Amino acid sequence: MRRYELLQSIAPLLSDEFVICNLGFPSQELYAIRDHDHHFYMLGSMGLSSSIGLGLSMEIDSTVISIDGDGSVLMNLGTLSTIALEDQKNFILFIVDNGSYGSTGDQPTHTAKGTSLAAIAKAAGIKSSVEVPGEEAAAKLSECLKTPGPHVIVAKVEPGSPAMTPIPLTSLAIRDRFREAVKRAQA
Amino acid sequence: MSAGDVNQALLADLKANGADFFVSVPCKLLGGFISTLEQDNEITYRAVNREEEGLGICTGAYLAGRTPVIVMQNTGVGTLITSLCSLGNYYRLPFLMVISHRGSPGEPIGAQVPMGTAVETLLQTINVPTYMFSDPSDTKKIGQLVPFASVAEGPVAAILDYDFWGAR
Repeated sequence: MRRYELLQSIAPLLSDEFVICNLGFPSQELYAIRDHDHHFYMLGSMGLSSSIGLGLSMEIDSTVISIDGDGSVLMNLGTLSTIALEDQKNFILFIVDNGSYGSTGDQPTHTAKGTSLAAIAKAAGIKSSVEVPGEEAAAKLSECLKTPGPHVIVAKVEPGSPAMTPIPLTSLAIRDRFREAVKRAQA
Repeated sequence: MSAGDVNQALLADLKANGADFFVSVPCKLLGGFISTLEQDNEITYRAVNREEEGLGICTGAYLAGRTPVIVMQNTGVGTLITSLCSLGNYYRLPFLMVISHRGSPGEPIGAQVPMGTAVETLLQTINVPTYMFSDPSDTKKIGQLVPFASVAEGPVAAILDYDFWGAR
């Protein structure tokens, strides 16, 4: 299972949650599988999907899922301690861990050589932090959606991705339709 | 104006202009202002580990309709450049950065001077409107930068030096 098939497996679970999606390739895959005005495609600023989702979850009642990558989380490990401290019941950090920098030619990340993001998240203070094989991630996410967070799910998958095309939305279109969707949900 | 009065006036003017969500990374010059933020029950305030993380959290708050301010030292601009470009500028996120100016006259630590010298040019290079303040009576002008960020459709920086904080 690669990230694309993993995202296919979790997409049917999504309904009114708000999703922050990490970087270009994963966002293109999510867009192709399921586009929604509850999706914010974060196309640059590698590492900040987790923090954006945290900030959003502090301010709204709906569940927020940050879809992140192993290389990205490794760039912003400090925010795991902030997620623990904030203790937002409505926040899920869903880490697609394919052990590689997929957007730059699949160079291995440190998780491919032994680093456990679930263990780091647990040590940061996030009690519900688990690593699961990609095939079991949808069942785990389904469970986490029904229980108070914060949750960290590390889904282990193979590197690689199908050929995709850029998302045909401008940055401002992505921003504005998401903000309007949040506003409607909060009204 | 005493240091405490400056901090109160600055927060009052930021709030009067709509700012309601603050994050900070510490700085010696900002110590009093951060205490003022901590004691204010009308705003959301959080300490963060790093400026980029703060920008991410502020982006989430902005997407939820809040008006965020990042409070930080100028050295943090160095770690923030990429995200200011690919998140702040790309998505035109209107927020104010209140930045203390270490490495400017009054600075006792030599290691602060290189970044203190570079910070204004760095921000201007990435097209972030940047304004320098030395006078503690300028808090109103700084507060007005909150709505100005919406007018400018992107991040805006206010750099406040030793004289502003009455620290030399």
